[in-house]
Amino acid sequence: MSQKMEHQPVSLRERAHEIFRTAKAVAGKAEAEIILVSRVDEYLRFGNNELAQSQYSTSRNLSVRIASEKKQGRVTTGTLDKASIEKTVEKAISQARNSPEDPDYLPMPGPQKYRSVDRYSEKTVEAPAELKAGYIGSAMDLAKKNHLLASGVLGTSVEHVMMLNTSGLEASYRGTGGYFSLTMDADNGNQTGYALSTFGDIGELNPDEASQTALERAMLNKNQADIAPGKFDVVVDPYAWSEMLLYFAVSASTGYSPDLGMRQYKEGRSYLSGRLGEKILGDNISIDDDVYDPNQAGPPFDGEGCMKSKVSLVENGVFRNVVSSRISQHRYGAAPTGHELPLPNPLGELPTNLVIRGRGATKTSEELIGELDKGLLITRFWYVRETEPRTKTVTGMTRDGTFLVENGQIKRPVKNLRFNQSLLELFSKVDALSEPVRNFSEFAQFRILQPGILARDFNFTSVSPF
Amino acid sequence: MLKQDRLLGDSVISTRDLGEELAKISLDLAKRENATYAELRLVNTRSEDVSVVNENPASEEASTIGVGIRVLYKDSGWGFADTDELEHDSIRETTKKALSLAKGASKLGIKVTRAPEPVHVDKWETPVKKDPFRVPTETKYELLQDTTKRMKENDVVARRAQMMFAIIEKYFANSEGSKIFQVISNAGVSVIVAAKGPTGVQRRSIQQNTGGGYELIDEMDLPGQALELTKDAIALTHAPTIQEGKSDIILSGDQVALQVHESCGHPIELDRVLGYEANFAGRSFLSPDQLGKLQYGSEHVNIVMDATLDHGNGLGTFGYDDEGVKAQRKYAVKNGKFVGYLMSRETAPRVGETRSNGCMRAEYYKLPIIRMTNVSLEPGDWDYDEMIEDTRDGYLMVTNYGWSIDQKRYNFQFNTEKGYRIRNGSIGEMVRGPTYSGITPEFWNSCDAIGNKKSWVLWGTPNCGKGQPSQTMVTGHGASPSRFRNIRVFGAS
Repeated sequence: MSQKMEHQPVSLRERAHEIFRTAKAVAGKAEAEIILVSRVDEYLRFGNNELAQSQYSTSRNLSVRIASEKKQGRVTTGTLDKASIEKTVEKAISQARNSPEDPDYLPMPGPQKYRSVDRYSEKTVEAPAELKAGYIGSAMDLAKKNHLLASGVLGTSVEHVMMLNTSGLEASYRGTGGYFSLTMDADNGNQTGYALSTFGDIGELNPDEASQTALERAMLNKNQADIAPGKFDVVVDPYAWSEMLLYFAVSASTGYSPDLGMRQYKEGRSYLSGRLGEKILGDNISIDDDVYDPNQAGPPFDGEGCMKSKVSLVENGVFRNVVSSRISQHRYGAAPTGHELPLPNPLGELPTNLVIRGRGATKTSEELIGELDKGLLITRFWYVRETEPRTKTVTGMTRDGTFLVENGQIKRPVKNLRFNQSLLELFSKVDALSEPVRNFSEFAQFRILQPGILARDFNFTSVSPF
Repeated sequence: MLKQDRLLGDSVISTRDLGEELAKISLDLAKRENATYAELRLVNTRSEDVSVVNENPASEEASTIGVGIRVLYKDSGWGFADTDELEHDSIRETTKKALSLAKGASKLGIKVTRAPEPVHVDKWETPVKKDPFRVPTETKYELLQDTTKRMKENDVVARRAQMMFAIIEKYFANSEGSKIFQVISNAGVSVIVAAKGPTGVQRRSIQQNTGGGYELIDEMDLPGQALELTKDAIALTHAPTIQEGKSDIILSGDQVALQVHESCGHPIELDRVLGYEANFAGRSFLSPDQLGKLQYGSEHVNIVMDATLDHGNGLGTFGYDDEGVKAQRKYAVKNGKFVGYLMSRETAPRVGETRSNGCMRAEYYKLPIIRMTNVSLEPGDWDYDEMIEDTRDGYLMVTNYGWSIDQKRYNFQFNTEKGYRIRNGSIGEMVRGPTYSGITPEFWNSCDAIGNKKSWVLWGTPNCGKGQPSQTMVTGHGASPSRFRNIRVFGAS
């Protein structure tokens, strides 16, 4: 089936206004904000060369914020009949009344101007399950022919967001997205190969290319050689990062809370507090938060409906800016950049659309491998967690294909390795990069455009038995 | 007792009555369309999250209700569809979607054999001493503000206190005749303080999640613990790190609980063992040929999978799982030997078992997969103080900071928030960020002392991730402080 019938943006806009009229009537003199999100998701999941799980999911979620006398409350519901909406607003009024005054309370923002983004693909919306099942069937056939087992998922989603408040703000967004992630393996997971492809428009997906990549890596990745841990030069495939680079913007030291926001920076909670203007990465590395990059995803407005700006966080290795909001403008006089989370938000601002790129000409992954004299090719990182915030040291494993490279040629697979590596140091020792691609992590579901890199002295500390 | 009546049109109807009504529509339709098997879950959830970070308050209450329908066609294809629109037409439409997906999948799937399960017509409810939704939000804020105020000190850069509650009404019915209504209640609390000093930012925290209600908060003494945590965090900013090497270690009970979760709970999930999670969560080193043979740990190590209330009111405690299998108790590791898996009705026969031990769980909008129930290390004989006194040279490591393990669950590394040097049976100086790593069976075989019942606590993990698309589930882990010999240790910074 397609995802079309359940997703008519015009009717959702009308529905949002109808809900908002109900909310306003109940809220009386209090300020009110609603966020209505409608989603349709379809996932075809396969394992052991079987189509194991087919899922079709529709949901609508209404979130109501009420503010009165500097007190705020938020209540969400998935039930959208009139009586439930009224009850939800009444609960939000009660939440606000029973909350302490919020020292950062500001009146809700009025009408905003937005830069438009085009993230809606009719092809993705209309793609029938049979087409997707065909892609998966081809992957499983390829695996069977080569005596391997294919496992993975092909998922597509359609999202529509409407936001309205009593100061006259109206924001809307619709977007589509998806990913095809697969592993081919044999010998109880001792021989594996992995590939990932992400898309906004399913027409951009080349499922055969992804399947071929997984196959080639799996065929290469058997009889892994023993390897002693130590420092190695590495090529990291752009789809290998998993959740690793999320830690540029999130800190475990304060409870996995967002980082790189003005409030965290000023309060000393950020791992980079006090370091603006300092060189933290190599000359050839820049990091922006840029929701408008054509490969990015998500709405061009923040959690209170303000327009997002592109922010240069790190420019040629120098830490230049943090993201900001109306609260930081009020507290510190900082120019707001539209990076607030839905309010009330005690955690601070969050850059939601990181783009990590290199200076100068970029190279293909094959070219990066070709330039590696001796080192390791990493095709997938796994289970990455922060161990030390100041240096942004993280630990994690390699999986699904780690290869020894000599004189620019892949020589042999090696056993999986554990690393303890500072991200700040790693991105100070990058010799060359590929174009950033949109990655996807089931763990983080964070939107980061990430490049492949050729880097020196990656610190591996132990080895797995497989 | 029904707690969350909802409005359907103009009439008030309970979750249970609504579930029965919708199940009849869905299951009748699935039968007419020749489904081999069908089940419906109606899940009505109410949750509240209240937090204070430094001086900033935030609260959110959420309610969701929806139906998940799972259908098996020709014994060879599963289809799943969900909806939050509960009108009869919508339920018929959602059932048809699940059927359509099941029919499509049956063309690519293989024959499914399911272990039989008795028909259950029953109800079950989590014992709750103090209903958290009757405690005013104001009272919750007062406690959290008192807690964060007590953490306000020079050098403290972040103070965070949070409590969360959920009540989940769940109606399940399947085409075999089971009709089960459950009311499951959970509570959670966390306090985090971060201080900055010569060694950078150091964190101390407490976290606990259990079945039940506000009684958890009453038992925790948050303001009292806040003072201790703050003192620790500041002291850690001046504490030395530890030298890399091999050492005996004693882990706090909450750290042992996470060790059990990651290095035993996940590798005994039979779906990942059989390869169905190969693309994301990974596989397992505990392959079926090891069952009953592998010496997973030392003779002291007994790990049980127990969803029954007799085990305790944990996050993995319930009456029935999400495919209608009654809660059970079964050993995963007995006297160190690997003897059992977490299973579903579909996977149990694949390892020669005649019945699932009831581990399928999911939100209503996700397809149930195998999840941990309460996977717990049984208490040993050791008094905690005697364990310290019996240790000549080693480290005590307390509360997790970071955790990582490979996809087959062999190679792990855990960082803890604080530690102490143990010398000649006494706890000595504080150390920051003590870290240990190892290979799972070697590690558990090095366990020579496990704390007794006095120090055993049923801990909770509220955010276990697995599946594609990603699913989050709550799990329970009983554990007591335990000692491991000759382990690789080093400092995180």
